[in-house]
Amino acid sequence: MDSILAFVSPGILSQILVGLSRTVILFIVASGLSLILGVLRIPNVAHGSLYMIGAFMAYTVSHLFGGGTAGFWAALVIAPLGVAAVSFVAERSLFQFLYEREHLMLLLLTFAMSLVFGDLVKLIWGAEYRSVPVPAHFQGYINLFGGLPFPIYSFFLLVMGPVIAVLLWLLTNKTKIGKISRAAAVDREMVGAVGINVSWVFAIVFVIGCLLAGLGGVLVAPTVSVTLGMDHTLIIEAFLIVIIGGLGNVWGALLGALIFGLTQSLGILIWPQFGIVFPYMAVVIVLVFRPTGLLKSTW
Amino acid sequence: MLEVTSLSKSFDGFKAVNGAGLSVKEGEVVAVIGPNGAGKTTLFNLITGVIKPDAGKVLFKGQDITGLHPYQVCRKGISRSFQVVNVFQRRTVFENVQVSILSREKKTWNLFTPASKMAIEETDRILQNVGLIDVRDKTSAALSHGERKVLEIAIALGGNPEFLILDEPTAGMSPEETTRCIGLIKELREKLGLTILFCEHDMEIVFSISDRIMVMVRGSTIIQGTCEDVRCCQEVQDAYLGGSDTCLM
Amino acid sequence: MKKSLLGSKLLWVIAGVIVLFLFPLFLERFYVYLAAIILLTGLCATSLNFVLGYGGVFQFHHAVFYGVGAYGTALMILKSGLNPWLGFIVGPLVAAILGLIIGLICVRLSKLYFGMLQISLGSLVWAIVYRWYSFTGGDDGIHGVPLPDIISSPNGAYYFTLIITGISMLILYRMIKSPFGSALQGIRDNPVRSEMIGVNVRFQQLLALTIAGFFGGVAGSLFVVVDNTVFPDMMFWTLSMELVIMCLLGGWFSYLGPMMGAAVIVLLRTYVSGITVYWALVLGVIMMLVIFFLPNGVLGYVDEIMRKKARNT
Repeated sequence: MDSILAFVSPGILSQILVGLSRTVILFIVASGLSLILGVLRIPNVAHGSLYMIGAFMAYTVSHLFGGGTAGFWAALVIAPLGVAAVSFVAERSLFQFLYEREHLMLLLLTFAMSLVFGDLVKLIWGAEYRSVPVPAHFQGYINLFGGLPFPIYSFFLLVMGPVIAVLLWLLTNKTKIGKISRAAAVDREMVGAVGINVSWVFAIVFVIGCLLAGLGGVLVAPTVSVTLGMDHTLIIEAFLIVIIGGLGNVWGALLGALIFGLTQSLGILIWPQFGIVFPYMAVVIVLVFRPTGLLKSTW
Repeated sequence: MLEVTSLSKSFDGFKAVNGAGLSVKEGEVVAVIGPNGAGKTTLFNLITGVIKPDAGKVLFKGQDITGLHPYQVCRKGISRSFQVVNVFQRRTVFENVQVSILSREKKTWNLFTPASKMAIEETDRILQNVGLIDVRDKTSAALSHGERKVLEIAIALGGNPEFLILDEPTAGMSPEETTRCIGLIKELREKLGLTILFCEHDMEIVFSISDRIMVMVRGSTIIQGTCEDVRCCQEVQDAYLGGSDTCLM
Repeated sequence: MKKSLLGSKLLWVIAGVIVLFLFPLFLERFYVYLAAIILLTGLCATSLNFVLGYGGVFQFHHAVFYGVGAYGTALMILKSGLNPWLGFIVGPLVAAILGLIIGLICVRLSKLYFGMLQISLGSLVWAIVYRWYSFTGGDDGIHGVPLPDIISSPNGAYYFTLIITGISMLILYRMIKSPFGSALQGIRDNPVRSEMIGVNVRFQQLLALTIAGFFGGVAGSLFVVVDNTVFPDMMFWTLSMELVIMCLLGGWFSYLGPMMGAAVIVLLRTYVSGITVYWALVLGVIMMLVIFFLPNGVLGYVDEIMRKKARNT
């Protein structure tokens, strides 16, 4: 530990860890978006709304279960499933009729859905700020690098990130649905021709992608105040992450989230006033040199 | 007029065009033939700058035009029609050809003069020549396939080229349309004195209108010569007929 | 038939302009304000449609130019101490230069990538404006921009907006009908072919983006006149999406479509949000209906019917 501290100051190290825990949220949401973009070719603006719905559902579920630790764990399981159910209804009633439409129309349609979702959230949960308590065993801080406090919940997030990444990798590479969906991303007619019901494959992929958005919402809920409009900046960030990583590439989403999260947290350290400017600048620099993203895109 | 030497291009290791050579003299009609996937369209794309070659040279009237952008190639006097119909879908037939003329006259930077009063005569003359004057004000998306293929050629003519490249001009046309299209190509050569390079699957058409023929197989030039030379060349027969020793046709 | 159809259209436009000129005589002050907002929003949407509908460029973050035009004007008036009229030239010019710069970075990308890089550059501009308290006022924005006397009254502001919007609309129309516009529409339909007939596609698009930025900036300047304020939300991406919706609602391929779309959206926002807080829900549902049933927009649909009628008679 001493040897690390010889090179980097503890302040920077803890800021990097804060950035990494933010990266986890960004990665989980962006990987779902990337999955949907890669397989279904839908630039889903409503993805951010599902993230918000996930956070609000986490609030409701955790209160139903009495708020405390049990509430959090119940929310972690139930809220993403609730988001998945919402997205399933949306897919079967709207999206499945639009797969052949051009991107601009899809983008506008999903934006329209995000408006509708936003107001539905307002209708159900109201416009007040909500908060989800951090579960008891994740409360408090531990001291890092000789005295810098670091929230335990952030450590939990740091563990969740790799877990989700590995699960996603297993899903896309080791399961039948993953293999079919990767094939469908390349050539959907061919997959249909060999007798697979492409429409249902798409529905499943869409639901999984949205479930990830919901999961991101649940995980972020204890760290922020849950409120309307929390989807607005996040969806843009998620899109940028997917673009710089390479459309449809899950590892690209991880790389993109790392770049975005770290430039954000280090940017604040370097120049507090303009911290939020740095990740956007990073995106611009990446895209100027690699216009189609850092890793191979499935497009 | 056009001199192509050892042109090569590969995609992901696949050599689409591999050391192809071609020469076209002024006033000639030259056909490129070869089995499907021989690299004919890629060759045309390389000449017109749509894709950049890995190696080789393209000389036009003694100037090196290798690797120029398509718009620069066009400004040298080379126009081209496409194999897959490639017109301006939402624009009328008239506008399709007119924009090509305006572009040649370098008027696309003109922001304030109404285009509707420009180049009318020339556009109408081209439409008259190719026989599209009756559908002048239709949207090009509303045309039949054969008409759109002719519109392809008309757009190319709008550039007032010296050298015209036609990529399978009669593909997908009905027999009557084909006959008319061949008549049109002959006319272009006789009346406008155009030099024409084209590729075509129908051997009857190839032998009836070309002066010389270049045969491409697997990206390479096998032979370039007169119809007679090509007709009885052993390698061509191998490529086309799998080694049978009867002459083509 | 075609001539008379065109003639009747021209008559409608002239009649419309006369009515617009008479508005302040019989409308209350609030409605005059609303009309001015509609005009300048419509101009902004039209300038977006110049590149989106006519140029086929995915300009997803057009509101940036609207906002930069407004900030440019307001800051010039407040901080330079020079003749305030200068602000109305500087604002749009800064927007045009920004359009050129963003265009230079984005123009080699295609479609969706273009749109996304544009959103990220736009968000960068938004973030700077949002945070730069000392210069732009940060998230508070700037209130009470002092204006020259003639345009400081509500009616003065309205007439100024009407005249500038009218002139801008005429110029944009003329550009669409010019050889430049012809080539631009060619690029929208078929960039490969355009290049092959000798059009320098990228330069053409760059010029179009600069022009669109300029007129987006003009609309922003007019907002300063009408509302006397600027705030960072003027360049938030959701407003850009609303502008795209206006184009879609009115119809991309009709010149006055975006203006009409702007009128519908601004009126809806004003009246529906008076009745219910769920105005976004209403907008979302309307959008979905338009996407499903009127993919060419309302004016596009009317055009279609008119054309069918003309063919039948």
